Amino acid sequence: MVYLLSDTWFVAWRELIKFFRTRVRLVVTLIQPVVWLAFMGNTMRGLTSNPVTARALGTENYLAFMTPGIILMTTLFGGVFGGVSIVWDRRIGYLEKLLAAPISRGAIPFGKMLAAMIQGAIQVVAIIIIASLLGVSFKTGPAGIVLIVLIAMLFSTILSGLSLALSASIKTMETLMAIVNFVTLPLMFTSNALFPVAAMPSWLAAIARVNPVSYAVGPIRTLTLTGWDWGSILPGLGVILGLATLASLIAQYVFQRATTE
Amino acid sequence: MPSPSPSAIEVYNLTKVYRGGVLAVDDISFTVERGEIFGFLGPNGAGKSTTIKVLIGLLKPTKGRLLINGIDITKHPGEIKRATGYAAQETAIDDRLTCMENIYLQGRFYHLSKRTILERSAEVLKMFDLYDRRNDLTATFSGGMLKRLDIAESLIHRPRILFLDEPTLGLDVQTRKVIWEYIKRLREEQGMTIFLTTHYMEEADALCDRVAIIDRGKIKALDKPEALKAQIGGEIVIARFSSMDGRIPQALEAIRALPQVRGIEPKRDGAYWIIVSQDGDKLIPEIFSRCSQAGVSLESISLKKPSLDDVYLHFTGREIRAEEGGAEAHIKARIRMGRIRRG
Repeated sequence: MVYLLSDTWFVAWRELIKFFRTRVRLVVTLIQPVVWLAFMGNTMRGLTSNPVTARALGTENYLAFMTPGIILMTTLFGGVFGGVSIVWDRRIGYLEKLLAAPISRGAIPFGKMLAAMIQGAIQVVAIIIIASLLGVSFKTGPAGIVLIVLIAMLFSTILSGLSLALSASIKTMETLMAIVNFVTLPLMFTSNALFPVAAMPSWLAAIARVNPVSYAVGPIRTLTLTGWDWGSILPGLGVILGLATLASLIAQYVFQRATTE
Repeated sequence: MPSPSPSAIEVYNLTKVYRGGVLAVDDISFTVERGEIFGFLGPNGAGKSTTIKVLIGLLKPTKGRLLINGIDITKHPGEIKRATGYAAQETAIDDRLTCMENIYLQGRFYHLSKRTILERSAEVLKMFDLYDRRNDLTATFSGGMLKRLDIAESLIHRPRILFLDEPTLGLDVQTRKVIWEYIKRLREEQGMTIFLTTHYMEEADALCDRVAIIDRGKIKALDKPEALKAQIGGEIVIARFSSMDGRIPQALEAIRALPQVRGIEPKRDGAYWIIVSQDGDKLIPEIFSRCSQAGVSLESISLKKPSLDDVYLHFTGREIRAEEGGAEAHIKARIRMGRIRRG
């Protein structure tokens, strides 16, 4: 058990070192949310000057509405790529090296997920700082922000877990990327991340309500715009927690199966 | 109960069938003694890597009993992993980490403390002449340096038995010889048992105390390189006849009757190997005259001492093909991938 924890940490450590070492990647991951917030936020500002749409958004500041969406979009992509690295590890033989060592096998998927979680948390904190500088105020203050980061980390685990499970069975990067792109963008745009459900056509609203992204957006948006409304925070949090656990279990199961011959 | 001084590796009736039904290793048995350099010689797909992977616990045997230091590997996989080191055919070095970070992680995955890793990594990196480059990114390393680092890493937990899968694959001749020296030193200075696979004859000849010739999952012969060469005879006279002639069997019969001739083997390329115990050069005129007596003319006749290549051909009926092209293409593909990724 002690080994499981330390092995998990060193698997994650390797990813994190590389994350911080690749400066271009680091800069891009931090600039990307700025671009989203500045451009999208400004383009869509017209929405909030209309009282009807402002009611649908629940705020007069579109940027504040959109920040939770950007937070999840960033963790969504980060999480998905967390799993992809295992395809690369298999290619260069690093995975085999890990499996040949007396390491707890569960530590390999857990380590990758942990790395994605930590990277996600760093990005989310950066987004929150940038959004604050652009005039978004978080209703629930520092404690709320901590909870927002935690929800985003859980959300990243869902994606990294599923992408790990996928990567365990898919051998080429190209196939994996195709599948990832096929899933992630529609997942994002059929949620309430960037657009309020109240303003959606009914068919899209139906999809948005069951979309897991919406479940994560819900509590974060409440914490940002409304305050400590537990009645609207807990259900979403529960679903995200459940899905994160499920995704970790699936990742473990598929990984163990794929690496036992 | 392990015996007081068990052999390093004991394999009894190992069979490995992959999930898809491919029979990779077919009922092989062999023993490797302590301090021995033991080689598996065979072409790609012969079952060499599979055997190693079963021995270090990466694959489960389908059948068979396997002991390392007298311990059953299927019952104590963790102990086996700590007692053995493994450097795979592909050098699995993370090129975006430094030399030191790579070896540090390896030590951590073998559950060594930070202090132990720092001490031992200095020791092994010095041995493999990488200490001065320890803080450099491994992306700047040459193929030979990567291989050295990979072997150095496999020693960080001080294994008594080292498994090297194709340790010099894809390296140039000079670098290959350098790696051989390191391998020899490991045995000489530390009494390490080394199990290696190769499809280079010179490698098996230069390094191994004993060689097993493996082909299509079966061991065809196992002995000291010298003894294997002696098995096919002292010398080989290679004769080619000018035309396919009905009288050839008659000529061969006459040659076979010579007292020094041990046997004659027809080869696929149309040549005949006349295996002689000694003094092949003196026998050539006699062979020549017997052929003319039978009315068969010779196109060429030559003499050679047997090499392991001949041994391989003798036992498998096929020539071993060093698939250099394949390995190189593979490495190039890896480099390309690396560039894209770093892009």
